[in-house]
Order: sequence, then structure tokens, then C-alpha cells
Amino acid sequence: MAKKSSRPAVLRAERLTVGWDGRPVCGAATFSVPAGRAVALVGPNGSGKSTILRAALGLLEPLSGTVSLLGRPVDEREASFRAQVAAVLDDDAWFPALTVAEHLYLVARGHGVGDADDEVEALLDEFGLTGHANALPNTLSSGQRRRLLLAAGLVRPRSLLVLDEPEQRLDSDMRHRLAERLVAEKDAGGAVLIATHDPEMLATVADAALIVADQTRKVTVDEAVDALRPGVL
Amino acid sequence: MSELAVRVGGEPTPVPAARSIRGYTAAVARSRAGAGIGSLLGDVYYAGVMIGVGVLLALGALQQLPVRDAPVAVEGSTSLAGLAAVLMVAVVGAVLGTAGRLGPIGVGGAEATWWLTLPVDRRGLLRGSVWRLPALAALVTGLVAGVLAAVVPAVGNPAQVGLMGALAAATLVITAALVQAWRGSRVAVVAGDVLLATVPVLGAGAVLAGWHPATVPAVPWWTLAPAVLALTGLVWWLDTRLGAIPARSLRESGSVAAHAAGALTSMDSRELGRALTDRTARQSRRRSLRMRLSGGAVRALLTADLLVLLRSPRHLVQIVAGALLPYLVVSTPELAGPAQLALAVLIGGYLATQATGEAARRAEMTPAVDRLLPLSARDVRRAHLVVPATVMTLWAVVALAAVGIWHGEFWPWLVLALVAGPAWAGGALRSAYRPAPSWDKALVSTPMGAVPMGAAAVLARGPDVVIVGQLPALVAVLVGSVPPSVLGVQVATTVVALLWGSSTETRSLMDRLAEAQDATSTPRR
Repeated sequence: MAKKSSRPAVLRAERLTVGWDGRPVCGAATFSVPAGRAVALVGPNGSGKSTILRAALGLLEPLSGTVSLLGRPVDEREASFRAQVAAVLDDDAWFPALTVAEHLYLVARGHGVGDADDEVEALLDEFGLTGHANALPNTLSSGQRRRLLLAAGLVRPRSLLVLDEPEQRLDSDMRHRLAERLVAEKDAGGAVLIATHDPEMLATVADAALIVADQTRKVTVDEAVDALRPGVL
Repeated sequence: MSELAVRVGGEPTPVPAARSIRGYTAAVARSRAGAGIGSLLGDVYYAGVMIGVGVLLALGALQQLPVRDAPVAVEGSTSLAGLAAVLMVAVVGAVLGTAGRLGPIGVGGAEATWWLTLPVDRRGLLRGSVWRLPALAALVTGLVAGVLAAVVPAVGNPAQVGLMGALAAATLVITAALVQAWRGSRVAVVAGDVLLATVPVLGAGAVLAGWHPATVPAVPWWTLAPAVLALTGLVWWLDTRLGAIPARSLRESGSVAAHAAGALTSMDSRELGRALTDRTARQSRRRSLRMRLSGGAVRALLTADLLVLLRSPRHLVQIVAGALLPYLVVSTPELAGPAQLALAVLIGGYLATQATGEAARRAEMTPAVDRLLPLSARDVRRAHLVVPATVMTLWAVVALAAVGIWHGEFWPWLVLALVAGPAWAGGALRSAYRPAPSWDKALVSTPMGAVPMGAAAVLARGPDVVIVGQLPALVAVLVGSVPPSVLGVQVATTVVALLWGSSTETRSLMDRLAEAQDATSTPRR
């Protein structure tokens, strides 16, 4: 991992073991995500990256170990936890009657965002969805729906942003812009936990990385980028 | 928790109440509904006319045939009141187990993704839907118990039995919800399954002990007041615990409930079974079969279909239970009668048919494997007929043997079973390849959510073939004999059912007639 940060840890996982039906899917993970920093999880399909993210979000009970947010055990049942953490996972569920813009308004107003109109408009523009603002999500392409999910993650305030392979289904230009957006997120003091297979995203955004495997280990970002080359993992 | 690191927008506004989030989503959905409930009734009318025509045909045939006097029940050891008492235990187990499998509190689909992540009081989000399952359980149990009591006086006063049944069902579901908030849904599932497993033991015990009660012990009226009070207390307690249910439990339950609701909408008992059991099913097997038995595409398909059936104990139980229904009717004096027997054959057969169509249904959902085989769509469809036709013929032999035993003759019913059995397979295949309702068309807004236009027409696919294919056999059961004319008509309807069920035509008859008319009326140039 990169040199130790003196910034306070937003998210901290200690010997976190995750899995299904009592069986671990990967080795225990210990990491922390400080404010203004990004930690990336890399590893082949099925290695346990998404499972770790779910445990970090309180959506999965860890088999052992602990996860804490700002010093308190993760408990997604608390409204204050949900106010602090924004997540973009692989969900693909939409209200059939709500338009693209209305989905964003729902999130923005639900989080008490002032000037929600301006924010929604800006994000629709940023993610190339302005022309589809009044469309129903089920009529969009899979890449456009992915953009909408990302916009929904960014339309609300947060301290931690958790992203599960955000590059999926995005074109190269959008991937590049998203990476820049995540750098801006860090500059604003946000913490980012990201699982990715994209070397460019990893190199641009991450400050530290974990290779998720039978023996999960911390590596430098350069080592993680190397690990993403074909045949390495 | 500390201040938020990344702020969005200007001065923050207060987080809205959960109720207004629910209200906003519901109001938009209502405003976009494209069709009224009258449109849905049109479909129901069409399905009703089809069923009515079938019933009228059957009644007409009945008048032409000599009706034999119904014999008394075969010598058995059951009494209806005893049977009802044992069934009550089964109902408690089924309600508890089903409530546990459905959550009973869940949030699925879009609500799970877009609501559960909001920093609002989660209780407010759940209050809108938490009453649905207890109310549904109360309504169904109350109605069934009340109707049962009205039909069978030994069970008790219909109003009293219905009311107590409804209260008991609601109390069970609310209790399961409290257990979900405390220890998760699994506890209720295990408790329900254990109760269900004791039912055959209790039944055998009652028979062996010679328990033949004339009536079910009555519950006094005054117990209603404490029962209502207890239920009110449980509801209040549950409301205080709603926020303690983790999102993962709500999502899992919501996903099962959505799957189950979809299965109910399409009247697909196999899909319903999958919804309720897939979460607890084995996720891997010790080894994979190398399919050495199969030589050629058709044999590979048949082997795969057979494996799907044999590896699903639930479906095998469904087939056996369906075959035992006619025996239950003919061995219970209060139940034994031609109409009841015909109904038992129809219900039991439909249950078993749905089980045999599992492989075809899975093939319809993921057609990629079938497309890899060097077979035309029609040949694939016909190959998928073989296992259901074979199994349902065996099923018909066993089920119609009950009718034969009742009437004291065996061979005519065996011949009828051999001729009528394959017809069930047509129904199995037609419902397996039933298309999903089109959500692209206008939606009908109902109190239970949006329903697509044409849903009722989709629902009729499968049952229509069963009705046509089994009409002669049902008529034979009703008149109590198998005249040669019935056998002859049965051969014809079996052929029709098999051809209809294996047809790859996706357009309805009405659509095809309309297109043919358009083609003839368009002037040629």
C-alpha cells in the first residue's frame, strides 16, 4: 500500500472475512480508506471483491472480523450511516413509471439536497443523459442505465463513495471522465472504495490497492495495475 | 456521525418524511397508468367465455350419456372432521413456512435499490406494505375455512370458523414478522416445515388410533376478543421493530416475494415453487453427468428433461400428491361423489402437469442450450413433450385407478388413462412456453400494482389445452363409466392437445384470423 496517511480513516476493515453459507470466498482483508483517498480492490471474477464491498456496506454479515465507518461499527439500519455512504453496485432495478430525471430527484430530495433542480440538471448533462431526462429507464441502453446509476450515486451528499466495477458497460470516453470525477471526489475530501478491472481507472484514481484472492494482500497501485495484465492473476 | 465530506447543492433542506417518499412514487405511478381496470376486465371476459364454452360442451355431453349411480365410499379409515383437524396443523405449518419464505416483510426491485439507501426512518417506508401479507393470509385462510365450514357442517359454524381462521393466519404472519426482526426469516421457515412434516405422522397416528371424531372441537365465541387484543398488541410491537430489520433481509424477502407475485400473476405453480425454494436449494452437486446415455440431439434432450425432473424432489412429491387426491376423495364418505372426484382429478392432474413441464419451462427461460442442438424449433418442442407425456400417462393410470376402484371395475379406466394421459403433456408444454405479459403495452393500475394489458389472455395458455384435452375423461368420471364413444372422442382431443401444446405459433387465433381477413380484403395490384 502507499505510504501511510495521517488522515482519519472513514472506513476501516480489520481481518474481514466474507463468504456465503459459512464458507469464505477469499482471504481476510485488512484495510482503511482515509478521507480524500481511494482504495481499489482488484482480482479475477468471483474472487470476492463485490462480497467485500457488500460487507463494507452492511449488506452482508461478515464471517469474521470487523468493519467500521468513522469509528463506529457499520450498521446500515441507521439513517446516519446511509447519509454518509453512497454506493453504486450492480443493481438494475427501476420504478417502471419514473423517468430518468425523477429517479435522480427522488435521491436528491430524499437526501435533503438544496438546489436539487440545478444538481440534477448538471449531472444529467455530465453523464450525457439530458436528452433522455424524460425517458423511462427501461427504454435506455444498458450503458445509459449505468450512467444513471452513477449519477444517482453522485447527486447526493456523502463521505464515502463505494463503486463496484463502475467502468462496466461505459464507453472509453465516459470511463475517462468518470475517473476524473473520482479524482475530484477525493480532492473534495471524499473517500472512495472501488472494485475495478480497468487499469486506467485504477492508475488514475487509486492511492492504494488490495489484490483479493485466497491470500488477500495489500499492494502498490503499480503492482495492482501490473496484476491486471492478462495471465498475471 | 460527523459532518459530510462531500456536499451537494446549496443549503441542505430537511430530509423528507418516509411517507412522502412513498406517496411521491405511488402518485407518479398512478398518473402514468395508461389504461383503466375495464381493459383488464375485457381479458377476463374472454377467458370466462372460453371456460364457459368448455363447461357447456361438457354439460351437453353429460345429458347424452347414461349416468351411473354413484357408489358409496370405498372402505377407509378417515372421517372428515378428523381429516380437517389434521389439515389445520398443515395450514398452520404452511402459513408459517410461506410467511418465513416471503419474509414476511420485504422490499424488492426498485424500492430496494432506491428507497432503502435513503436516510429516512425506514419504518415509514415499510408501513405501507407490511400489512399486505397478514391481510392476504387472513383473507385467504378466512375464506377457505368459512367455505369449508359451510360445505362440511362437521367443521363448525362458517362465520365463526372463517373469523377465527382469519385471525389465526394474521397472528401467525405477524409473529413470523417479529421473528424476522429478531432472528431472521429462517426460524419461521424451519418451524413451518417441521409442522408440515408432522402432518403425515399425525394422519397415520389418527388412523391407527381409530380417531373418528364426528365434529371438530368448537372454539367459543368469547375467545375472539382476546384474540383481537393479542393481534393488536403484536401489530404495535412489530411497528416498533420494523427499523431493526436489516436491508439484506428485506432485499432477499422482497426478491422472493416479487418472484412469487409474478408466478401468481401468471398462475404458474412451478414458478411459485421455484420462488419459494430456490433460495434454500442446493447450489452445487457432487459430480456432473457426462450424458453418455445420450446419442443424438433428441436423446440428449430427453435425458436432460428426465434429469431435471428426477433431481427435483419437490416436483416428484407434487406428482405423487396429485395422484393421491382422487384416493382421498373416494375414501372419505363425506367427500365421495362424481363431481368432487372429477375436481380432484382435474386439480391433481394440473398440479402434476406443472411439475412435469419444469424442464420445458427452464428451456423457454434460457433457450440458448436448445438452440445449440441441430433441431428445428418444432422438433425441440415435440421432444420436450415426451417426458411429460410419459409421466402423465403413468400418473393417469394411478389416479384413474382410484375411480376404477370406486366403481369396482379396472380395465375401462386403465384404457382411458392410457389414452387421456398424454393430453396433459400438451397443457404442460403450452403453459411452459407461455410468453411473459408485455410490459411495453399500456399498464392497468390496480390496488396491488400495475398489470399489463393482455395478462389474462396469457394466463389462459395451458389451462385451455388441459380443459380441451381432458374434457372426455372428466365427462367419464362424472357419469361413472367409459363408453366407447368417450374413448373415441378422447383419442381425438388428445391428438389436438398434443398438436396445440407443441405448436410454435406465437400469435393468438384471433390475431391470425384478423391477419387472414386483412390479407383477403387487401386488393391485389
